[in-house]
Amino acid sequence: MNFSKADFIEKLRKNREKIINQWFQAAINTYPPETARILDKSKNKFDNPVGCVTKQSLEDVWDKLFHTLGHENRKNENIEQKEINQEKIEEALDPVIRIRAVQSFSASKAVEFVFELKGIVKKIIGTSLNSSFEKKVDEISLAAFNRFMKCRENIFLLKATEAKRRVHKAFERAGLVKELTEEQLLSSNNKT
Amino acid sequence: MADELKPDELLDKIDHTPARGSWMDTSVQIRPGMYCYAAKAESVETLGLPNARAWNPLEDDWKLPENWQEILHNGLKERLEKFRTFKIFMDICVRCGACADKCHFFLGTGDPKNMPVLRAELLRSVYRNDFTHAGKILQSISGASKIAGNRPLTLDVLKEWWYYFFQCTECRRCSVFCPYGIDTAEITIIGRELLNLLGLNIDWIATPVSNCYQTGNHLGIQPHAFKDMLDFFTEDIEEITGVNVEPQFNKKGADILFITPSGDVFADPGTYTCQGYLILFKYLKDKYDLDVTWSTYASEGGNFGFFTSHETMKRLNAKMFAEAKRLGVKWILGGECGHMWRVIHQYMDTMNGPADFLEEPVNPITGTKFENAKSTKMVHICEFTADLIKHGKLELDKSRNSNISLTYHDSCNTARGMGLLEEPRYIMNNVCDNFFEMPENTIKEQTFCCGSGAGLNAGENIELRMAGGLPRANAVKYVHEKFGVTHLCCICAIDRAVFPTLMEYWVPEVDVIGIHELVGNALILPGEQKRTTDLRMEPLPGMEEEEMEDEDE
Repeated sequence: MNFSKADFIEKLRKNREKIINQWFQAAINTYPPETARILDKSKNKFDNPVGCVTKQSLEDVWDKLFHTLGHENRKNENIEQKEINQEKIEEALDPVIRIRAVQSFSASKAVEFVFELKGIVKKIIGTSLNSSFEKKVDEISLAAFNRFMKCRENIFLLKATEAKRRVHKAFERAGLVKELTEEQLLSSNNKT
Repeated sequence: MADELKPDELLDKIDHTPARGSWMDTSVQIRPGMYCYAAKAESVETLGLPNARAWNPLEDDWKLPENWQEILHNGLKERLEKFRTFKIFMDICVRCGACADKCHFFLGTGDPKNMPVLRAELLRSVYRNDFTHAGKILQSISGASKIAGNRPLTLDVLKEWWYYFFQCTECRRCSVFCPYGIDTAEITIIGRELLNLLGLNIDWIATPVSNCYQTGNHLGIQPHAFKDMLDFFTEDIEEITGVNVEPQFNKKGADILFITPSGDVFADPGTYTCQGYLILFKYLKDKYDLDVTWSTYASEGGNFGFFTSHETMKRLNAKMFAEAKRLGVKWILGGECGHMWRVIHQYMDTMNGPADFLEEPVNPITGTKFENAKSTKMVHICEFTADLIKHGKLELDKSRNSNISLTYHDSCNTARGMGLLEEPRYIMNNVCDNFFEMPENTIKEQTFCCGSGAGLNAGENIELRMAGGLPRANAVKYVHEKFGVTHLCCICAIDRAVFPTLMEYWVPEVDVIGIHELVGNALILPGEQKRTTDLRMEPLPGMEEEEMEDEDE
């Protein structure tokens, strides 16, 4: 069965809730089952921060993806595919990836849930995927990996900064670094 | 080949759910970023604690004494007899799961063994096996351990204890939700005490404890350096206010002995809170002739002994009453700290009291009796300052903090441990106009821990800290986005030390501040010059241009 691109997008629109819910399930199923049950339980974002932030983040990413597909469709199906806005997609992914970057996931496990979207959409829509859609999911995966790396770098920088501050403080107490302020010490690190 | 699956179909068949097995059977994976380095031998030796040696948690051999199982068995037996709460907590849990999703470490890490019920079960399973009739009978029947939830104490189990008892900050949020009132913090406390019988402490606790025992504070700062730091603050304050706030040290016959965590003296941004204390004491001296002394001997309010064993806590705490007695003060005033107050409020009196040589604390300026401190003779500075404000004894200029939008983190130990909820809020509202609460399920009795308490504020376990602080940061992010909150205020030295990094990761726009820093900014000292900067030497609201001109000159 072949769908036109417009039909495909219409199907995606109609199935938004279903797709997001299944995608969310796939994302939380990367946790141990005892944890996954709890992440799915409370809708209060302070009692269940990881579950709620994950859901919200996936909704944002989905809406951005859908917007790009819809935009592309409205203009002209034959023109070159509009690239997904990497920066915006990374921002939308940030909350969920920022969390996964401090949990026990390997890099691949941390971003794996993005790829699940292909299988989920295929199952729900019941047809092979539009190549433009597949490409965009790949782009989101790469954006997720980018963000994961940024978060990891952030963590190591924070760790280094804490250690530097501690050493600097000790030197300052001993009267050894009167000339070098903490700001200078930390910014010299950023330049390298 | 027709029956071969296509790649897409193959993909559909992959189950990504992690393999399921009983929590009892899975062995612990010690992950870098989640644990703190092992205690140095010399630090363990200082206090004469057992099995001092170099060891590494990542290596198979933890260099345990040959009879380690016997030591732990006897240690557990002794504590079951000594602490009735512990015995009850081992017996009465019905595993209802009410606590499961209340722990910040579980919420942040997603690791089921951080559910308080399961963390406690790590110890309880061994208790059942070795100390209950059912456990003893079922030991011999294969497969029966699943029914009774018992298991023998193996090396894997021991490693799991170590890994997870150092992933609990003893914050007691879970106990608020337990229908039986089980205090999981006490289980962790005993768990760590047992680990210490085998020399299995972490260095971030053991070395501060050793320093504190030898030199009086966690950082091992000697008396002259302690005095130097306060002198340095005095110079800064004089530059800002034009007033010399020079403190007194070890003064015999002073009215009040003041003790604060050494973090306030040596770690930013706690140092600004410390400057706030100095300004307050100078004000009270000039206006009301109140005589407050600092001590270079009792130079640590915090007590990492609390995270080692009851006995160690007692030894470190003893200097507070000893110094108060030596100096002959009337009572003791304590600074902004978390676990220091749990020790003072719940243990000090019976551990090292009664302090019958001290007077029941009365604020000499207002006449207020601090009934709650009748027995310990030690008053929290927030109660003291709130009382002064309530009686109109402090002249405050709120506008100096008008560029700050505050929210308040209830430190676990002062909020849940001693019920200090309203006094800090009263002070904040009197020194700053813009105060916004975080959602109610994240504050007061339900406050979320900073994720780095109970000796876990090291550098090497930063991922644990970032994950553990997630629920707190999540609530800060909410008030930052909704109300434009710029500062997270807290009354705990560990909070002040760890929140800047936590905020940097989760809500980088939010800065960290202590209550007495705000007080120090707002308090109008007699004879002060026109202030143009706050204690951080940043321009006061409306003074930005004057400051620029000064810098140009």
